[in-house]
Order: sequence, then C-alpha cells, then structure tokens
Amino acid sequence: MTKDKFLEELRLKLKGLPKDDLEDRIAFYSEMIDDRMEEGLSEGEALKEIGTSDEVAAKVIEKTPLTKIIKEKVKPKRALKALEIILLVLGFPLWFPVLIVFLVFILVCMISLWSVVITLWAVEGGLIVGAFNGVISALGLLFEGEYLNALAHLGLGALSAGLAIFLFFGCWAANKYTFKLTQKITFKIKKLIVGKE
Amino acid sequence: MDVQLKRGLLEVGVLAVIRNEPSYGYRIIKDMEPYVSLSESTLYTILKRLEDTKMLRVKTVEHNSRLRKYYHITKEGMDKIEEFKEYWADIKALAKLIIGEEAI
Repeated sequence: MTKDKFLEELRLKLKGLPKDDLEDRIAFYSEMIDDRMEEGLSEGEALKEIGTSDEVAAKVIEKTPLTKIIKEKVKPKRALKALEIILLVLGFPLWFPVLIVFLVFILVCMISLWSVVITLWAVEGGLIVGAFNGVISALGLLFEGEYLNALAHLGLGALSAGLAIFLFFGCWAANKYTFKLTQKITFKIKKLIVGKE
Repeated sequence: MDVQLKRGLLEVGVLAVIRNEPSYGYRIIKDMEPYVSLSESTLYTILKRLEDTKMLRVKTVEHNSRLRKYYHITKEGMDKIEEFKEYWADIKALAKLIIGEEAI
C-alpha cells in the first residue's frame, strides 16, 4: 500500500461528503503521513499508524451528522437546466410522496424498534404499581378482618414486586441493545449514502 | 468517559499545546501523547471545531516543497484556557465528591 493508493481509497469511500470537507480531510491525512515519513518512518509504517482506509472512513462517517450527509446528497452537483427544473416541478406530485414515504418508512422502523422497549418499561411500571397496590389493599383488608383475602393480596403484591425486579434487568438490557442497534442502523444508512454515488 | 466532557477537555488540551507557539497536526498529536492518545480523526474534528469557533487560525506554510497547516491560537482561544482554569476549581470539588479525597 502506498500513500497515494491509501488517499485514493479514502477519497472513494468518503465520496458523499461535501467537496470542501473531503479535500480538507484528504490534505490533512496526506500531511499526517508526510510528517511521519519525515520523522524517519517508512511509507508502510506511517500508513500502518494511520490505519486502513476502511477504519479511517468508518470513523469519519461516524462523526459526521446524518443531516449533513443527506444535505450534500440532495444538493445538485451542477446548475439545473430549465427542462430539469420544469420536470422537477411537474414531477412534484410523484417524487414528493415517494420521498415522504421513504422518510416515514425509516421513522416507522425506528418507532417499532423502540415501541418494544417502551412496552417493556410500561409493563415494568405496571408491575411496580401492582406491587404497591397489593401491599396497600392487603393492609386495608387486614383492618377489615378479611385475613385470607389480605394474605392473597399481599402475595400478589410480592409476586408483582418479584416480577418487577426480574423484568428490570430485561428492560435495561433491551434498552441498551436497542440504543446500540439504532446507532448501528444510523451508521449503516450514513455509510450507504456516503460510499456510493 | 462522558463524550461531551471529554470533547471539551480535549479542545482545551489542544489549545494548551499551541499556546506558546503555533504547531501542526502531527506535532500536536506527539505533544499530547504523554497525556492522551489522540487519533487523527479525533484531532481533525477538534481542530475544525476550534477553527469554526475562532479559537484558532490556520495558516498554510510551504515546508519541504509541500504544504503544512500551522494552527495559531487566537485571543478567544487564550480566553478559553483562562475560562477553563476558573471552571477547574468547580470540577475539582465535584471530582472529590465523586471519587473521594484522593481525587487529583
């Protein structure tokens, strides 16, 4: 691997970034490699320290906001011709709903993913309320002399409390996992947009 | 570590490294190495943000028949370091609360 090859690969993998941003980054990495070689490292050693183009591109994409990537993507690469503008306006009833559907689709995917987590937390909340409810109603029944009923309510309360504690770990794990998954999906979407033209 | 907190600290760290004389990317990484290991992509993001917020200015200089960017600290950057020193007392007090007396 040579410096030029590395920079060429990196440029290709980050093609979807704004042009100024991309050139600035390429110049930055080029300088970083040159400076290392000036210190006495070989070209190969310098590149090894920087990491592969895949690793570098992944880090850059991770740190670039999705909005910036999409903005660059929808920006026309050249001035539009009159005919294209007319087509764009006339085609509005067609492409606009498609765009909306696409955005809503992503949103719906995210919502359905998170709804599982929200449901779990709701059940958790219900169990906690149930636990308190069981204890309080057991106390009430105790005062009314309904000992058996009181015992049953206390038992239900305890069961709710037990399940609540048990489910808490599940909720927490699901929450963490879904958060990571959301991050991963966002990263994949970004990579898809940046990498291919 | 909390991303926001670390980011803020690293920004001031980079400013501190170029406080006395202008420096360039690779030397900034080298100068920070005894304290924190910084990847190129992280440094790039920090430098960009410091430039956008006018904490530093960039001057491109010819060096060995290629270009090298030198980062100069601005008055705003110097102020930021001073500001950090003031915050430091608060942070230290909180660190003691979190970690205990042996903190710092």
